[in-house]
Amino acid sequence: MASKDLVLESATDRNDRFERDALVFMDQLYAAALRYTKNPEDARDLVQDTYLKAFNSFHQFEEGTNLRAWLYRVLTTTFINTYRKDQRRPQLASGELEDWQLAEAQSHTSDLGKSAEVEALENLPDSDIKRALQEIPEEFRIAVYLADVEGFSYKEIADIVEVPAGTVMSRLHRGRKLLREKLADYAKELGYSTEPKKAKGEKP
Amino acid sequence: MSYIEEIPCFEVLSSVVFIIEGAVEEARNPQAIASHLDSCLACRSEVAHEQEMHSLLQEVLRRTCDEKAPADLQHSIHEALLRQVTGSGVTEVVTQFSMTEISIEIDEFGNVEHSEIQIEQTHVQHFLDEEK
Repeated sequence: MASKDLVLESATDRNDRFERDALVFMDQLYAAALRYTKNPEDARDLVQDTYLKAFNSFHQFEEGTNLRAWLYRVLTTTFINTYRKDQRRPQLASGELEDWQLAEAQSHTSDLGKSAEVEALENLPDSDIKRALQEIPEEFRIAVYLADVEGFSYKEIADIVEVPAGTVMSRLHRGRKLLREKLADYAKELGYSTEPKKAKGEKP
Repeated sequence: MSYIEEIPCFEVLSSVVFIIEGAVEEARNPQAIASHLDSCLACRSEVAHEQEMHSLLQEVLRRTCDEKAPADLQHSIHEALLRQVTGSGVTEVVTQFSMTEISIEIDEFGNVEHSEIQIEQTHVQHFLDEEK
């Protein structure tokens, strides 16, 4: 029947358009999914679910707006709703901005030698970088990943994760700090000193 | 003349994430931060270090997190999408054709040359199942 053919054809066309425009982000989404889920099987399922969900609401997506950001939003909400192991973990309150700024301000001036910190970061193997990222709490990991690997602005991240922009700022601040602390620890294990150089000057 | 509040170093340093994100104007006290940085060398150097560490961290993370999706994932997504488009499902008919051509040549010295050519062809057809 002609009318049925027409409906099917347009759905197929829409599918073609979706695949053409959206599948180019598959590798990126997979790498993000690996960071989110921490294992290849879940990452694979998460990416596939993301594409199916995205396709189902593709008619709501306006052409010309940011498809990549939209896909990350679907990926992130799908992960939070479906794959997160510990569903009952309380979310940080939106009013946290004021508190962290005061509570963590003093500790910000670090004792670590600045050039030593740079050197350690430059020399750490990739496996340690991934390990550090895996070990920081989920909300920080997602924010830092979206900002520093994917290059989303904090406002875009607020849309993707569906939290206020101030909360994203706080997560970026704390997340990067935690990450750097982990990396400094690993560097120490590997024998890079991130202590100030003067310690070496002392004669035994 | 407008009054600019004086703020201590720790308040400037706690806002460094706003500076890194290029959104100082979103911080609690942007004018005070700017004026403090103008006059405080220690804070300027701390901010410069934070910016350096941030771009280094970004570089390291980008280099590290560049995994490729499994080779068959695209196909599997394609199939799943196709099933969804039709609502009910798709019947897949796979026609596989394979042929092996074997040739044996014996040259004038009695050397035997043996070669096999394998020809394979796979044709996949999708039939949309009848709608309910």
